[in-house]
Amino acid sequence: MATNIAKIACAVAFAAGVAAPVTAAAKSSTVTAIEERGTLLCSGHNGSYFGFVEVNDKNEWKGLDIDMCRALTTAILGDPDKAQIVPLSWAQRFPALQSGDVDVIIKATGWTMGRDTEVGLQFSLPYFFGGTQFMAHGDLGITEAKELDGGTICVEAGTTIERLAGNYLKTLGIEHTMVSYEKASELRAAYLANRCDAFAAWGPFLAVLRATELEKPDAHIILSDQLSNEPIAAAMRQGDEEFVDMVNWMIAALLIAEEEGVTSANVEEMASNPPNPKIARLLGVDPGMGERLGIRDTWAKEMIAATGNFGEIYDRNLGEGSPYKLERGLNNLWSHGGVLYAPILD
Amino acid sequence: MALASELPAQSERWTTFANTLKKRAFRSPSDSFTSVFIFGLMLYMAWTLIDWAILSAVWRAEDVEHCANAGGACWSVIAARHRLILFGLYPYEEHWRSTLACLAIVATVVLSCLPRFWSTSRLVTLWIVGFGAYVVLMDGRLIGQPVVTTDQWGGLALTLFMFSSVVLLGMPLGLLLALARRSKLPVVRGAASLLIDFIRSLPLLTTLFAAAVVIPLLLPDWLNGDKIWRVIVGFALFFACYQAEVFRGGFQAIPKGQFEAGKALGLTPFQTLSRIVMPQVFRHALPSTINMVVVTFKETAIVIIIGFFDVLASANAAFGTVEWAPYYIEVYAFVGTIYWIFIFSLSQYGEYLKARMAVAKR
Repeated sequence: MATNIAKIACAVAFAAGVAAPVTAAAKSSTVTAIEERGTLLCSGHNGSYFGFVEVNDKNEWKGLDIDMCRALTTAILGDPDKAQIVPLSWAQRFPALQSGDVDVIIKATGWTMGRDTEVGLQFSLPYFFGGTQFMAHGDLGITEAKELDGGTICVEAGTTIERLAGNYLKTLGIEHTMVSYEKASELRAAYLANRCDAFAAWGPFLAVLRATELEKPDAHIILSDQLSNEPIAAAMRQGDEEFVDMVNWMIAALLIAEEEGVTSANVEEMASNPPNPKIARLLGVDPGMGERLGIRDTWAKEMIAATGNFGEIYDRNLGEGSPYKLERGLNNLWSHGGVLYAPILD
Repeated sequence: MALASELPAQSERWTTFANTLKKRAFRSPSDSFTSVFIFGLMLYMAWTLIDWAILSAVWRAEDVEHCANAGGACWSVIAARHRLILFGLYPYEEHWRSTLACLAIVATVVLSCLPRFWSTSRLVTLWIVGFGAYVVLMDGRLIGQPVVTTDQWGGLALTLFMFSSVVLLGMPLGLLLALARRSKLPVVRGAASLLIDFIRSLPLLTTLFAAAVVIPLLLPDWLNGDKIWRVIVGFALFFACYQAEVFRGGFQAIPKGQFEAGKALGLTPFQTLSRIVMPQVFRHALPSTINMVVVTFKETAIVIIIGFFDVLASANAAFGTVEWAPYYIEVYAFVGTIYWIFIFSLSQYGEYLKARMAVAKR
């Protein structure tokens, strides 16, 4: 029914001679460059960043951010293996994007005002939310930061976390000693050696650390206080709005697929017999998904078949299907108590 | 019979050793106390190390579940991840190529250290063959294998390649700069001094960052080349500027009279330089040069900051998954041993060269 209306509307528009501005979306220059090159250049890491960017025993990349890169590559080029992961350090990622070494940064990168304006980046919809939290030794028997009075807190030196944790505890009126370390591995060793009572870091990192503490898995508790909440998004060069649309709708399609229950397992079945018009549009059974972005109509179907929907990507890399067992929490769909939502697919 | 004749000699040696020990370590009660304490401590440390590294260690990748209770090193991580540490992101099925390429580089370096190869034509041939073999093997295009682009080169293979290219390019460039700085033409002299002082005033990190990230913004695309070549050239320039100063020290150690003597004998300036001056410059500059080379080998680890998967970055990646995360000490010990082997060999070679050159002084 709805599709028929759309067809009629389209026909009417065509007859009225306004079809051109409505349907012929300008094609992104970045997408054109990616198609000519045949590969999508995406950011990796100079080492591992637990759960987000890792290297497996076969020297292949994996992780949440890598899967997002592969999803985007499938959307544009139809094949996840055409993603070319360029190893980048944290400091190098923005200059590398500006100089064209990568097409997009998907690398646990927070959306900040400075990056949006001075650095000259364009951010996509957030696909992940992570905030600063405390982790403490379980035998202290505490659950909240309020109970940390007189304690020693370890943090990574020179990060926003250092200031954030200090301010938070000061506001609560908690006496504490702050000890900072240069590297994550030193920090970890210091905490495990009982040099400090608690340690402040990015929530997902703490959860991962707790999961990797193989000897005593339950000996550590992540305190309930949420010191901040950072939206993590893909970063692109300014000046190519069409590419921003592409990346936004890639993320949106992954979320809509989860919302509608489309998975990598049932995507073919859904496409051959779409249960509702939204899914028909999403999977390219009804036209419009690709045309308006200047690519194939079936891009979302191919993408979901290759990488799964957002829930599958999350579970595989951070959630139940991974060793980290990180709860969805904020990173669930809005309908399941999280804050992730997709724009409207019309 | 043979045993009987050896016995007195051995017991004699033992007596000498015991005497020395007595004289050096047990001369007075306080001496004895200190010695016993220190020897005891050393024995304890050695035992702890051996116990950790060998006796209580877990060796096979399959046995990783025993690691938590073994109380010793968990070498399973090396068994499972050594290919990542050695070859970085290089495709798994093509590792035979990077193994051969590594051997080609090591062979090239070892051969060029042998006096037999010390003639310009031999060295140049050797280097072209050695480095050519490396690039052809790693890239794969010319030998009809799947192409592996430079951003996938990594691990020890990359560290060795970067180090040897930097030294090979930087050494002649450094000599040229040192000569230019001694030139009689003010323009050449000024330009060389300016370049040397400019580069030496910048940290290596800045130079490499500029080569990797800033240069592509300035140069046209066709001139850019791969990041790895830009970084090697930048690093070599940095090395050359320091090495030029080392050579300058060597030049300054040569008395003026020798140049004048060369002139008086009717030698051309080039002959004076190549026959009289340069051999002495090399001898004077040798200790500092070995030092520079060793430092450069260690400094290659800095390329991690511009996203190269050198041996240290690969090591970070090797313990960067949940099952291997607790065993970072083992990984660092492994990488430390690799560095130690190469650097110790380099400095031992330096000792050999010094001894060889000392012959000229007798």
